[in-house]
Amino acid sequence: MAVEAAFTSSDAWTPVSPKLVLARRIVLLLCYLLVIAGVVALFLIPDVPSWAAWAVLAGAVVVFGWLWWLIGRRVRSFAYCERGDDLLVSSGIMFRRLVIVPYGRMQLVDVKAGPIDRWMGLTTVQLHTAAATTDANIPGLVPDVAAGLRDRLARRGEERSAGL
Amino acid sequence: MSTPVDPGAANQPVSNVGDDFGLGITLPGTATVDESGRRRTHPITPLIHGVTAIPIGVIVVIGFGAGAVEQFGIGGIALALIGAIVICLIVAGFSYLGWRNRWYWFDDDGDFRIDSGVITKQERRLQLSRLQAVDVAQPLFARLFSMAELTIEVAGSGDSRQKLQFLTLTEARALRAEILARAAGLRQDTVEAPEVVIATVPPKDLAVSLLLSSTTALLLLLTALILAVTFLTEGAVGLVIALFTGGIPLFVVLAEFLKYFNFTVSDSPDGLRLKFGLAKTESRTVPPGRVQAIEIVEPFLWRRWGWVRLRVNIAGVGAEDSSGNKEETVLIPVADPDVAHMLIARVLPGVEVSSLPWHSAPPRSRLRSPIQWANLAVAWTDRVFAARSGRITRHIAVIPHARSQSVRYTQGPWERPLGLASVHVDSTPGPVKISARHLDAVLAAQVTQEQAQRAGVGRADDRTIRWAAEQKDRPRDESTEETGS
Repeated sequence: MAVEAAFTSSDAWTPVSPKLVLARRIVLLLCYLLVIAGVVALFLIPDVPSWAAWAVLAGAVVVFGWLWWLIGRRVRSFAYCERGDDLLVSSGIMFRRLVIVPYGRMQLVDVKAGPIDRWMGLTTVQLHTAAATTDANIPGLVPDVAAGLRDRLARRGEERSAGL
Repeated sequence: MSTPVDPGAANQPVSNVGDDFGLGITLPGTATVDESGRRRTHPITPLIHGVTAIPIGVIVVIGFGAGAVEQFGIGGIALALIGAIVICLIVAGFSYLGWRNRWYWFDDDGDFRIDSGVITKQERRLQLSRLQAVDVAQPLFARLFSMAELTIEVAGSGDSRQKLQFLTLTEARALRAEILARAAGLRQDTVEAPEVVIATVPPKDLAVSLLLSSTTALLLLLTALILAVTFLTEGAVGLVIALFTGGIPLFVVLAEFLKYFNFTVSDSPDGLRLKFGLAKTESRTVPPGRVQAIEIVEPFLWRRWGWVRLRVNIAGVGAEDSSGNKEETVLIPVADPDVAHMLIARVLPGVEVSSLPWHSAPPRSRLRSPIQWANLAVAWTDRVFAARSGRITRHIAVIPHARSQSVRYTQGPWERPLGLASVHVDSTPGPVKISARHLDAVLAAQVTQEQAQRAGVGRADDRTIRWAAEQKDRPRDESTEETGS
């Protein structure tokens, strides 16, 4: 596609770890425990006609399959690219996004990991500028890569620090 | 120490900060000074705080009074009144304890210190070398006694603002002058600011503009329609709806009218000074170097006069206090084209908004945004990036390249099949959002790329940045510097 070409041309993009697919799917499964509980409840409540319960079950299964598939594509869509003066982060399938953060505008680099991410050995690097709308998350990084990225970003941010 | 800018203003008083709207009642007593030179605020402070609690007392009287009358007869009213008085006394009592323990002084390092707290002691050191603004305000009840509060703001986001309640107006002005003079000793560019009024908003214009803002006008029109239908059909349900559709906008208009009453923009060496308010006079300083982005809002019914409202994003303001951010972000509630042009020239020198080279969204964007597509456009010069949106109320958001934080390119599921995409330039938190929506995707991608480069060049060239450079740290790193031990 022409649009993607404008961004990808000469830049070396780094994808995130494929392990993130599994981590996200585990989260999906955990969320679906609640849905399963709801569906079971529908079958047990006598007033609900069984066809309605079956319809809900079918809907839940279809949504589950779609989300399962979407997670795979979404994770593959995450990539970042360190250029001379700025960092590029791209993500999203339905809502595509590309964020360009100049190193000089970086104020903080956070490295975070939730319980499932930690268990899987993954971390998220999050960049903050003075703008709250800067939405630059890079999830699914192996801790070593994340630490390296954070240090590089922090160093470059300091070199090019430009105030507000 | 005041140096009037033009000979005609030579008769100005030394300080004209804060207008005296008092009833001419001056109270005995001044701020007390102890042996080591520490000063207390005016002893009337607890009384003002107590009086401020009267509205709460009135609510108590009304709330409990009705019930009490039924139960105890006339004596119930007395009971409710006593309750209200007790509330005022409690507030005044706490205020008295607070007042007794609140001391302010200039320390040997030249910093301004405030010690306060009854149970938890707090010691604050305001570094005058990082002074941003000193404002004199007169809240309603304080004004009755010709008293004023002083707000001192130093660089740094978070809780970098300290209020001193209450001083007599004369003392507040003198203290403001002293703080500015001391700050000037550390930093040569600050002097007691002689103010020159450059724009005012007449009450009539303000009232008309608020009534004609798009949402208000629409809701009032709706109310009229509902009322007409109600009278024709003689149904009662419509009246209840009309009460909401008509009452809420009128309430909002009234609130804004009281808030922005007598809006005055003055020029002073430390930036543009805004003064406004009927019940509570406020004054704000907008240092031009701290304006991050500006938005020109033009509601449909204002267009025949060419009126606009100007809103700004200011660094360090609005990020933390979600309730108080709106008041700081209006540069002028309504302005005619000449005034607007002049104010924009002040905060963004050298930018001609009327002649920006706009690149419109393609006609196919009609399928994504049927109403506002014709006004969607993006523009850039070597200094600023601008985005235009809205059909009924037009918005133009402008951000200098040197102030842009990050650039985002987004494409939603409706935009993709149409070959459209949006470009957002991120600014510091505030009301101004710079989003150029539904552009041709190829153009958007190109603009995003180029904007990142332009922002880089803009930062390299920027001369005003040193001034604000100190405040780039986040509040969590800042706390150690602001609170002395």
